Amino acid sequence: MIHGTTLLTILLMASATYATRALGYTVLRGRTLSRRARVMMEAAPPCVLISVIAPAFASREPADLLALAITLLAASRLPMLATVLIGIASAGLLRHVLG
Amino acid sequence: MDADTAAPRRAETIAEIRQGVAAALPMMLGMIPAALVLGAQAAQKGFSVAEVPLLTGLNFAGGSEFAAVALWTSPPHILLIVAITLLINSRHILMGAALAPYLRHLPRRIVYPALFLMCDESWALALVDARRGGGFRLAHYLGLAVALYVTWVAFTALGGAIGPVFGDARSWGLDMAFPAIFLVLLRGFWTGAAAARPWLVSLVVAVAAYLLLPGAWYVAAGALSGLAAAFLLAGSEA
Repeated sequence: MIHGTTLLTILLMASATYATRALGYTVLRGRTLSRRARVMMEAAPPCVLISVIAPAFASREPADLLALAITLLAASRLPMLATVLIGIASAGLLRHVLG
Repeated sequence: MDADTAAPRRAETIAEIRQGVAAALPMMLGMIPAALVLGAQAAQKGFSVAEVPLLTGLNFAGGSEFAAVALWTSPPHILLIVAITLLINSRHILMGAALAPYLRHLPRRIVYPALFLMCDESWALALVDARRGGGFRLAHYLGLAVALYVTWVAFTALGGAIGPVFGDARSWGLDMAFPAIFLVLLRGFWTGAAAARPWLVSLVVAVAAYLLLPGAWYVAAGALSGLAAAFLLAGSEA
């Protein structure tokens, strides 16, 4: 089953997303950017990424915050899969232990 | 093309595709928990088994899909969801611009379809590969990007189908997969504490906005304040 409004929302989302993918290449192809523009360009992806996971940092549960600290430590030195497994295991276990 | 040059070229292309898939493998494995969680959350919000892969296959941008599912109501606030999608994915504009200098040797009819597959992971892998000195290798990029795409769409669909069986993803700790993936991606952007000062501004503002403002404005507030900090810091050091 596919609903009309759901389909419309998905199509509009997909168009918006593809526009962002094509725009940088289309507009900035063959141009040299100022130093300031380059610094902002490099800062944008990490600033968006960290903002998206802000709710995890805003938790008031000790178990969640401790698990996040462990995950952060893992992410600073381990590969993707190991970090994900440690994150899931620490969150799952600490929530059961600390309630 | 001569028959005797076509065969080695074909072998080289196949080797590049293989290398691309191999380079994507750790990220494919890392994607799986996030994809399952997204599918399960979408199912909880009323997405049907067909609607989940429709969303992830046409949009193919995880951050905006998590945000859309989190903000999903019945009926959905279409404008809000599209605006948040634009905002979260605005980084693609900068990513495409960063990749553009490496794409000059390719015709637009190849580049535009290839850009559909550009996500954080495929972009980062392609850029790292191009900077190694060999330039942008299309077959390598397509290998890794298609592998990531198929993984994302297949496992979000699976999450949508089996999600209801698992029940609450939180009690399993599965929701921590998403921050874990993003933190590892963030490490890839790390060039030192000085360059990361805007990240801290983004985090503090986003947390404050998350606690104080309704909806998903915290993403916009955090991202824009981090960019403003980057702008000011770049000016002060010029």
